[in-house]
Amino acid sequence: MAQVTLQGITKRWGAFTGVSNVNLEIADREFMVFLGPSGCGKTTTMRMIAGLEDPTEGEISIGDRVVNALEPKDRDIAMVFQNYGLYPNLTVYENIRFPLKVRRIDPQTHDDRVHRAAEMVELGDLLHRLPRELSGGQRQRVALARAVVRQPTVFLMDEPLSNLDAKLRVSTRAQLKNLQHELQVTTIYVTHDQIEAMTLAHRVVVMNHGKIQQIGTPTAIYDNPANTFVAGFIGSPAMNLLDGELQGGVFKSDNVAIAGLPADRNGPVTLGFRAEDARVVDADGAQIAAPIYSVELLGDATMVTVRTGGSLTSVKAEKDYRAEIGDGVGIGISPDICHLFDKESGQRVSLAA
Amino acid sequence: MTTARALQMPTGLRVANGAFVAFWLLLAIFPLFWILVMSFKIPVDSFSTNPLQVIFGFETRRTVGGLSFLDLALGIVVLIAAYRLVAQTIGKAAGYLSLGGQVWFGWILASVVYAIGLALVFGWLVPLVFGLVNTIFGVIPLLNALATPVVGLTTEHYRAVWIENEFHEQFLNSAVVTAGVVTISLTVGTLAGYGLARSGGSLAFWLLVVALVFRALPHSVLVSGYLPAFLNSREWLGPLWESGATGWFFGLFSDEPPTLFGKHLPVIIVLVSINQPFTIWMLRSFFQNIPRELDEAARVDGCSHFEAFRRVIIPVMWPGVITTGLFSFLLAYNDFLVTSLLLDAEAQTMVPAIAQFFNRETTATDQVEAIAAAVSITAPLFLLVMIFQKQIVSGLTAGAVKG
Ligand SMILES: Nc1ncnc2c1ncn2[C@@H]1O[C@H](COP(=O)(O)OP(=O)(O)OP(=O)(O)O)[C@@H](O)[C@H]1O
Ligand SMILES: [Mg+2]
Repeated sequence: MAQVTLQGITKRWGAFTGVSNVNLEIADREFMVFLGPSGCGKTTTMRMIAGLEDPTEGEISIGDRVVNALEPKDRDIAMVFQNYGLYPNLTVYENIRFPLKVRRIDPQTHDDRVHRAAEMVELGDLLHRLPRELSGGQRQRVALARAVVRQPTVFLMDEPLSNLDAKLRVSTRAQLKNLQHELQVTTIYVTHDQIEAMTLAHRVVVMNHGKIQQIGTPTAIYDNPANTFVAGFIGSPAMNLLDGELQGGVFKSDNVAIAGLPADRNGPVTLGFRAEDARVVDADGAQIAAPIYSVELLGDATMVTVRTGGSLTSVKAEKDYRAEIGDGVGIGISPDICHLFDKESGQRVSLAA
Repeated sequence: MTTARALQMPTGLRVANGAFVAFWLLLAIFPLFWILVMSFKIPVDSFSTNPLQVIFGFETRRTVGGLSFLDLALGIVVLIAAYRLVAQTIGKAAGYLSLGGQVWFGWILASVVYAIGLALVFGWLVPLVFGLVNTIFGVIPLLNALATPVVGLTTEHYRAVWIENEFHEQFLNSAVVTAGVVTISLTVGTLAGYGLARSGGSLAFWLLVVALVFRALPHSVLVSGYLPAFLNSREWLGPLWESGATGWFFGLFSDEPPTLFGKHLPVIIVLVSINQPFTIWMLRSFFQNIPRELDEAARVDGCSHFEAFRRVIIPVMWPGVITTGLFSFLLAYNDFLVTSLLLDAEAQTMVPAIAQFFNRETTATDQVEAIAAAVSITAPLFLLVMIFQKQIVSGLTAGAVKG
């Protein structure tokens, strides 16, 4: 059993707080993805789980052991470092083999395991090279192979695919998912690529400024963002967010009027909806009516953007929709695709029906 | 590594650069070359005012003999061939001789074997063969000019230094002191340097800075501080031997407290303490250039702190260790002040001994002998640099991190 539990984890450097009061339960065999913008504390959290950084406050347990005082080697983890950390004096083969050697695993099995790990990341014919003779992406694959050569209790992977080309990234991603399914090892995976997070994760942790914003399955996070940060971070394009006034079930802002919303709350709110949920309609009687700000052809759809109040609002139209910038357009928004957030705190106030 | 054409230096700059290096080399090497030449001549030639006579040694050639063109040409060829052969095969030989065990053991064994081999070749085979070749050419008309001596040469001074004056005793003393200093400085230096580079505790850092400042003290001040303590060490150390708590322990080593003056150990300690701040500092900066991810990866992969240091850091640290080791070696090997003041006649090292040669103020022959001794002590330096030249070239950590 290898559930990982973080209780009130905080990391401070002097006055600066890198990670603040993180509480998290990662179940046994779960694939957990940390997602967040650059500098939000993903690597720091992962390093604290690995034992490379001491938390200023809080308790970390792996399985049923509290590991705060344990050396990294005794936590039985394998890690892919964000900037690789390969052993420069060893060949690719010896690099991948190193964990087996240090942990005194039966030498008979080494060759097999190394080759299997190397095959997985397509390193087969580079085994005799030194790290300095490899490209950035190849180095990253060595780091990945070194982590998966052994079966630890927890995998920690810090952006393990960031330097691979698009094709290799997709195939390695699939292999990683399959490997995790096969080995049934609890995995914590850091990325700022949403697609990676959506495709790999059982659950996603969205972080910002060292705080957890939301924990949930990819669908839950996409469909029910807990606050405006998650709403504005997840999805491509991100959710449209409009500031305005809610009065008696009607949301009002510049060029915007949406009726049929819950009537039990009045005052300033932020309203959100996804571009693909709304429709382009005639300007007459539409919830949003405004001149077109830009039209982008995406191939499978056409993205139409208008200016409402201070912000830009996008909607996806049919792929053969054509219009000129400046033409008037309407956007039809039914109340059941709307998400409401508190204007001050940004927290969700009512679920979309 | 080749430099892209666009990045190469313009010709003018390259020529100027080359000329400067050549000029500098001339300045630096000329004295060495000159005393080398002098040491092989009889005093009349050595101290002649005519430079040609110093180089060619007219008197030496007439009275003792010398080298012919043949000797010179063959000598150069044999030297180069020997260097090439050793450089190319010693690594493999070390591999064989380690017999599947420790590599360093193989290296030691290989060095001993090669040293004996080279001594045999140059001490016995070369003179024999060269003599034979010269005799053969000597009887062939026209070619016998090649076999007549052109440069006077005598090895009598070296014989006098090493055999009559038993210079090997001083050599051994030097070896003991130098080996002690290098071993202790490097051991302490790598451990402390690594600790400082990784923990960055500010107290230790400032202590080191203070120690570095103290290194600027003239050594004579330091020595005069140590001298009385060493002379009276018997009284100073007495309590350690007499007290019940520690007496039994120190009693294991000797019955009564030793007089430290004149022994090797105290000199080693003084030299190490002078040198240590610098060694730690230097190694610390080498360690700082090794990415942290290396230790971290090793520790996640299953190494303890010390294992990570030994298996991952040390292998990429060789350039730093060797460069720092060379500095310590130079300090200990060339030290005059500390060794001349703190060692008695029996334990004397080479540098003060040579100074004594010069100060004897007797015949010109003694002076040339002193020069021969001085030339002798540079030989180990050449050897060291030749052995370690590959490792001094740095850059072992390339490829470790994203960079
Ligand atoms: N040793 C340190 N001292 C002070 N601040 C630090 C230190 N290490 C990290 N930080 C800060 O902590 C914050 C979190 O850093 P972290 O490396 O965890 O970010 P990240 O989420 O991994 O970002 P990225 O996606 O860019 O890798 C950053 O603002 C960073 O500046
Ligand atoms: Mg990071």
